[in-house]
Amino acid sequence: MTSRDEDINSILKSSSQINRFKDFLKRLIHHRKGLAGIIIIASLVLIAIIGIFFAPYNPFSTNAAAFQPPSKSHILGTDYLGEDVLSWFLIGTGTSLMVGFSIAVLSAIIGVLVGVIAGYFGGQVDNVLMRVVDILLVIPGFPLLVILSAFLPPTLETTIFVLSILSWPFLSRVIRAQTLSLKQRQYILASKLSGLSGFKIISRDIIPNLIPIIFINAIFLAVGGVVAQAGLAFFGLGDLRSVNWGTMLYWFEAEDGIVFNAWWWLLPPGLGIVAFGIGANFLGNAVYELSQPLRSGKQ
Amino acid sequence: MITLRYIVRRVAYMLLTIYIAATLDFLLPRMVPGNPALIILITKYAGEFNPNQLKIIEGELNLRGTLWQQYVGYLGSIIHGNLGPSYYYYPESVTQIIITRLPWTLFLLGTAMIISVVIGVIIGSYSGWKRGYSDSFLQAFSIGLTSLPYFWLALIFQLVFAVMLVINGQHLFPVAQAYSINVHQGFNLRFIESVLHHAALPLITLIITTFPGFALLMRNTVVTVLDEDYLVLAKAKGLSINTIRKRYVNKNAMLPVSTSIALAFASIVGGAFLVEEVFSYPGIGYTLFTAVTVSDYPLIEGIFLVITLTVILANFAVDLIYAYLDPRVVLK
Repeated sequence: MTSRDEDINSILKSSSQINRFKDFLKRLIHHRKGLAGIIIIASLVLIAIIGIFFAPYNPFSTNAAAFQPPSKSHILGTDYLGEDVLSWFLIGTGTSLMVGFSIAVLSAIIGVLVGVIAGYFGGQVDNVLMRVVDILLVIPGFPLLVILSAFLPPTLETTIFVLSILSWPFLSRVIRAQTLSLKQRQYILASKLSGLSGFKIISRDIIPNLIPIIFINAIFLAVGGVVAQAGLAFFGLGDLRSVNWGTMLYWFEAEDGIVFNAWWWLLPPGLGIVAFGIGANFLGNAVYELSQPLRSGKQ
Repeated sequence: MITLRYIVRRVAYMLLTIYIAATLDFLLPRMVPGNPALIILITKYAGEFNPNQLKIIEGELNLRGTLWQQYVGYLGSIIHGNLGPSYYYYPESVTQIIITRLPWTLFLLGTAMIISVVIGVIIGSYSGWKRGYSDSFLQAFSIGLTSLPYFWLALIFQLVFAVMLVINGQHLFPVAQAYSINVHQGFNLRFIESVLHHAALPLITLIITTFPGFALLMRNTVVTVLDEDYLVLAKAKGLSINTIRKRYVNKNAMLPVSTSIALAFASIVGGAFLVEEVFSYPGIGYTLFTAVTVSDYPLIEGIFLVITLTVILANFAVDLIYAYLDPRVVLK
């Protein structure tokens, strides 16, 4: 094959992939749950962007009175130091989403690599990797997170790192099972016979076919990451001066928001987490339904 | 059927997991700079101590000798059930602290798990059998509930039922603790009543967030079982709907639910810990929270080890029960 042929081939291939992606997006928007999921998550992203540019106050400014219920100047009231809850929420949404997406990307990379390698190469490699996965799945996750976070420096990066290295085992099992079944297909056999190396087959023939599954799992990893980071912050771990949904709840608990009946301080971060979870569930289910060939288009 | 080989392999595997958890416990504090023995002396005795005391505490913490000697010493003391002294509660030992706190956590976890499974099985069976509205309601309900953070729900319940709502000049539920200070601890009616009253909100929080998972699984397996050939036979035999439902559908559909209990255990522990923190419930979750706040590393490590052991044993027990319930299962 000449180099010109290869160029044409690659152009054809990429344009067809873009078309397939566009087509998939179109179907997703026409899917009821898919649309709902996209709208919810997009609104949260919008809130985060508003938080970056238009937060009404500096979240650490303490000029107002403490524990003020919602009013015109402070739409969501103030916290124990007189800090503006709305500003905390707007800015915190961005931080929490960023944490969730980082964890989703990092742990999806680890999970996919481990799963594909274990499934494709099999044998001793598979055995060792899956034993590691088994042990990580058996050890109760939260206490393990707590002990690691307690000994590592209390920064947001540490929390992302710890959550990423502990969140992938379930995904790797799913990917391994899928890889095992893909491995039996004719076209993989053809690639093997044509002399392609294992890593080329993995990157060209296997991973592209797993993208819907990886995407669905990454969405749930993001939700799990947001909830787990909030839980860790609530437990007093990580960077407690970072502005996010988890630290809002931590300070509410630590500074007796309950005693002051400060519902305006308690509701926003929790509702943010719940909205993100519901949006992700809708989107994940929609992608799942659309990626099943037999049931595609089911609303 | 359970073979001896299975039990031996499984026990070996549990020992390996515990060994890994213990090694993690050993390595983590040694990666952090500073001498822990000095920390105890400085916080407890405000720096007024003699070198002998330092040596004694270093011994208790397995800080003497080479790293390898420390490691062997550490594993040895764990085997003897000795988890070392707590920094914060010194000279009380970590083992003593955990023994007094663990029963409260087991009580919460066990009760919440049993009630969640029962509710989940009943609702799931009904929804899978009837389909239609109850089905879509269950789906929407469980999606909403599974994304609820346990501790946030606990805070809401605490705010509404223990602070805001006042009936006849009294709050509906206590804000914190496991029993009222006015009652005598022991086996008497007032104590039990007080314990249940205090456990109500933590339990409701855990149950509400745990049962939808079981309900959804039960519903899905009921739907699968309804397609089985043996149900056609049962109908052809003219058995009553009730008999078919109880003896054919529910019995078979409950099996996958019982395996999922094991996985649910590992995740409900985190929820229970956070709920304990909210209600200052004196179990090991609240103790862990306190330990984190005061950097009591030996106590953090000890709790990690004990809760890992507890979860592993619970999983093992569930597997054995499963094999006993379903004769088709062969654990070898």
